[in-house]
Amino acid sequence: MSVLRKWDINLLQSEKKTLFSFLFLYTFLFLLISISVGMLYYNFEKDLMLQKKRIELQVYANDLIKRLKELHFNFEKDRTYPRDRRYKSAIFDSDEVEIFSLLTDRKIDLNKIIYKKESKIIYIKLPEAYYLGAMYVVIEVKDDEKWLNKVYTNLIIYGTLFFAIAITIGYFLLNLFLKPMKDTIYLLDRFIKDTTHELNTPISTILANIETINKDDLQTRIANKIRRIDVAAKTISNLYQDLTYLVLHNKIISEDEKIDVSKVLEERIEYFKIIAQSKRVVFKSDLQKEVYLLIDKKRFSRLIDNLLSNAIKYNIIGGEIKVVLTKKHISIKDTGIGIEKTKIDEMFERYKRFDNSAGGFGIGLSIVSMIANEYDLHIEIKSELKKGTEVIISW
Amino acid sequence: MVKKLFLLIIFILSLSAEQNSIYEKNCIECHQNFPISLEKLFFRYLLKYSSEKSVKQALIDYLKDPNYYTTVIFENELIDKYGIKSKTKLNDKELKEAIDTYWEKYKVIGRLK
Repeated sequence: MSVLRKWDINLLQSEKKTLFSFLFLYTFLFLLISISVGMLYYNFEKDLMLQKKRIELQVYANDLIKRLKELHFNFEKDRTYPRDRRYKSAIFDSDEVEIFSLLTDRKIDLNKIIYKKESKIIYIKLPEAYYLGAMYVVIEVKDDEKWLNKVYTNLIIYGTLFFAIAITIGYFLLNLFLKPMKDTIYLLDRFIKDTTHELNTPISTILANIETINKDDLQTRIANKIRRIDVAAKTISNLYQDLTYLVLHNKIISEDEKIDVSKVLEERIEYFKIIAQSKRVVFKSDLQKEVYLLIDKKRFSRLIDNLLSNAIKYNIIGGEIKVVLTKKHISIKDTGIGIEKTKIDEMFERYKRFDNSAGGFGIGLSIVSMIANEYDLHIEIKSELKKGTEVIISW
Repeated sequence: MVKKLFLLIIFILSLSAEQNSIYEKNCIECHQNFPISLEKLFFRYLLKYSSEKSVKQALIDYLKDPNYYTTVIFENELIDKYGIKSKTKLNDKELKEAIDTYWEKYKVIGRLK
């Protein structure tokens, strides 16, 4: 997947599936072709060797038949079966019953003319007359298998060459296959990168200035307007942080430190309180003290922010968010719209949103998943439609 | 027990002797005076019919219906002198027994060294 890494692409599950199907099909076809060609080549070379051997074996068979003929007509005087150092032989009658055999293997396929069995070559000849009742004369010689060594050498050389060519073609095909996906994702990433860069300064300025305003000195009407500006600016700021993380996360080195989880949670709840108030959503927290994690604080804040943001975004007006921290897990539970069980696995896919009524790009949970994977945190989602969702991060 | 076994052996031997006597009485007697030995004739059958089953069937067919076309005696002078033999008077069972004895006496399988 170096191609993917080079392009900096995070593929969706379905895209990965298509890609793996393509690779499986390609490998399967490659193996099928390789094995078929290899088998054809092996059989061709074997037949060639047998044809060459056949001439030699024919001479042996003729010689044996001549000697069988002599024995047939002089059986009263001599009953010694003819033997030869160069080959082993046997004779069978028309019912394929063995008359006499010097062969090492007694199972002979008499319907063939010449064939190779293990390291032996078997040749069968039908004499013109049944001397000693023999309809089949079988000659067996040992195969030196020099041809086989040549076949194996060629198969390894050409197989490797073919494999290299197939890999190269596969690489180009993969490039071709991924190009439309790469173009789309690259365009989107480029757009986000450019947009976010331009957003940073104005948002920071707005938030910094709002903080300096003393709301107590203002009229209620103006204070409310300032509060709304604060909520809007924080929403944009949050989105900005997400987009920055998404685009640049693999280019920023993590600065892991021992963090007090309850403190960070309190900070983030406080940060989101004003946004929650706009939907009349209240936070209830039960945070155990002195729970520590070795993690990059900014990334951990991203993870929590996204979970809190979702809990607010998908909550009902006047809903509730319960945040619980124990030694082993964090639980964020809302009283919102919930999600179908079948769709839970897809939730972490980038640009996936199940409810278009709420804003966003569908990148929140994708970021949560990325950060959790980076720090080996386990995410569990329990959800029930129209009742709410609970996200549990455990370690 | 020993007595029973002895009787059984006697019975088998007598059967075998009977079988041999059919072959001896009906085949050897006539062929004694024929210039080609029974063994030579056997090898002519073997040369032509190959297997035990085919040879035995060919012998049965010939002995039941001897004729010029199926005989393995191809020397015309012998046929002129001795003629084609007459049909066998043996019944099927006797004929089979005689042929089995003939096959066992001259078969190649088991006799080659």
